[in-house]
Amino acid sequence: APGGGAALRPCSTRGAQGGINKPVIDRIIRVDHAGEYGANRIYAGQMAVLGRSSVGPVIQQMWNQEKAHLRKFNELMVAYRVRPTVLLPFWNVAGFVLGAGSALLGKKGAMACTVAVEESISEHYNNQIRTLIEEDPDKYKELLQVIKQFRDEEQEHHDIGLEHDAEATPAYSVLKTAIQLGCKAAIFLSERI
Amino acid sequence: VRCQQYPPLRALQASAVLGRASDEHKKEPLASSSQQHFDSPPAGHQPEEKPQGPHPSYTGQGGQESEDYESEEQLQHRILTAALEFVPEHGWTAEAIAEGAKTLGLSVAAAGLFHSDGSELILHFVSECNTKLSKLLKKEQKLVQLGEAEKKPIDEFLRDAVEARLRMLIPYIEKWPQALSVLLLPRNIPSSLNLLTSMIDDIWHYAGDQSTDFNWYTRRAVLTGIYNTTELVMMQDSSPGFQDTWRFLENRVADAMAMSSTASQVQSTGEAVVQGLMGAAVTVSNAETSRAVR
Repeated sequence: APGGGAALRPCSTRGAQGGINKPVIDRIIRVDHAGEYGANRIYAGQMAVLGRSSVGPVIQQMWNQEKAHLRKFNELMVAYRVRPTVLLPFWNVAGFVLGAGSALLGKKGAMACTVAVEESISEHYNNQIRTLIEEDPDKYKELLQVIKQFRDEEQEHHDIGLEHDAEATPAYSVLKTAIQLGCKAAIFLSERI
Repeated sequence: VRCQQYPPLRALQASAVLGRASDEHKKEPLASSSQQHFDSPPAGHQPEEKPQGPHPSYTGQGGQESEDYESEEQLQHRILTAALEFVPEHGWTAEAIAEGAKTLGLSVAAAGLFHSDGSELILHFVSECNTKLSKLLKKEQKLVQLGEAEKKPIDEFLRDAVEARLRMLIPYIEKWPQALSVLLLPRNIPSSLNLLTSMIDDIWHYAGDQSTDFNWYTRRAVLTGIYNTTELVMMQDSSPGFQDTWRFLENRVADAMAMSSTASQVQSTGEAVVQGLMGAAVTVSNAETSRAVR
């Protein structure tokens, strides 16, 4: 069950509790939602190519967890009345293309993509955790709990990718750097637009 | 107002920030739109000392602020609220503000606190209307939650919300075209756009919109279009009780509903066609294979 501890509360009670830092929370939820949406599409792309191969079940399992993450952020988005990023249709296509493209490089290629993306996401979640703790760890307890749990799961995906010989991909470091640059750009844009 | 502050337009800021019902306020308190005012909790607000006319400012025991302690923003807010009464006669002008200041026992020079084109007055009015609308929608929502009212279908909800909001213009309808043109001044566009978008978002929120994809934008864009066109129609409407406007509104909302159902029909037809073609392709290739085998 995805992030079961975080209860869903409507915004009006939240506002009455002495105010959260809306701009900061807005950004956090918007970019995380975009990230999980993109991750979903990446795994969908990978499954489209490698679904019937030996790594199919592994990818499917990771995909299922990402689906749960996305569901959670959908809930949080409604609860905090956050605007989704306008780039969603673009991430829809870009994510799928990245997933399918990396999978066409072979199983190791798909795993390399997973490693790169999950590493970016884990680092990104860590930054957010730091930000929220600096703001007020008590006020944002539930959100922190959710992000910490998701960070741990993304880290697991990263490790699974490594276990499946991601590093043996030809041009691994080039591929990894390129994908991580793309992730950084995506994060930057989704926070703002 | 979505958590943005525009330094020159402090009256607007005052309307947005004030969640505290001071006993000076003879008008409705703004308290309940709290869900939109996250970044400016009243506790954090640093009021400036300003002894004015009939309201002595003093600190009570222990140096705490007393209820009579008023900030400049609160003062501006009061002046603008009082000025609204004179808008039908004087328009959105410094004269109206001066008259408003007079009723509060202040000098007419208080109008000098504001721009001469009445920008702050208009923005203040819009902000107040939006707040009233939010409160109204929230109250209705509560009634539905308590089971004392039926949940309205979306088209009726949107229609009623837009109508309620536009009806607030009726006392000022003669001077509203002037206000619209002021709101479109480049200087005012960020604030007026902000007010418009947060009002539309509010309506959708209470209508029960929970979209987290591009629909979020489509819905708001459509409703903004409906609102703006209906507002313009209302300016030209001379029918009794603005019935032409409400009929126009009903038709636009119906169009929007039809458009969305058409869109989903087109999509499902498209998907069905694609599936049909895939099925045909598979059938043909199977037929070829079996013929080859034979």
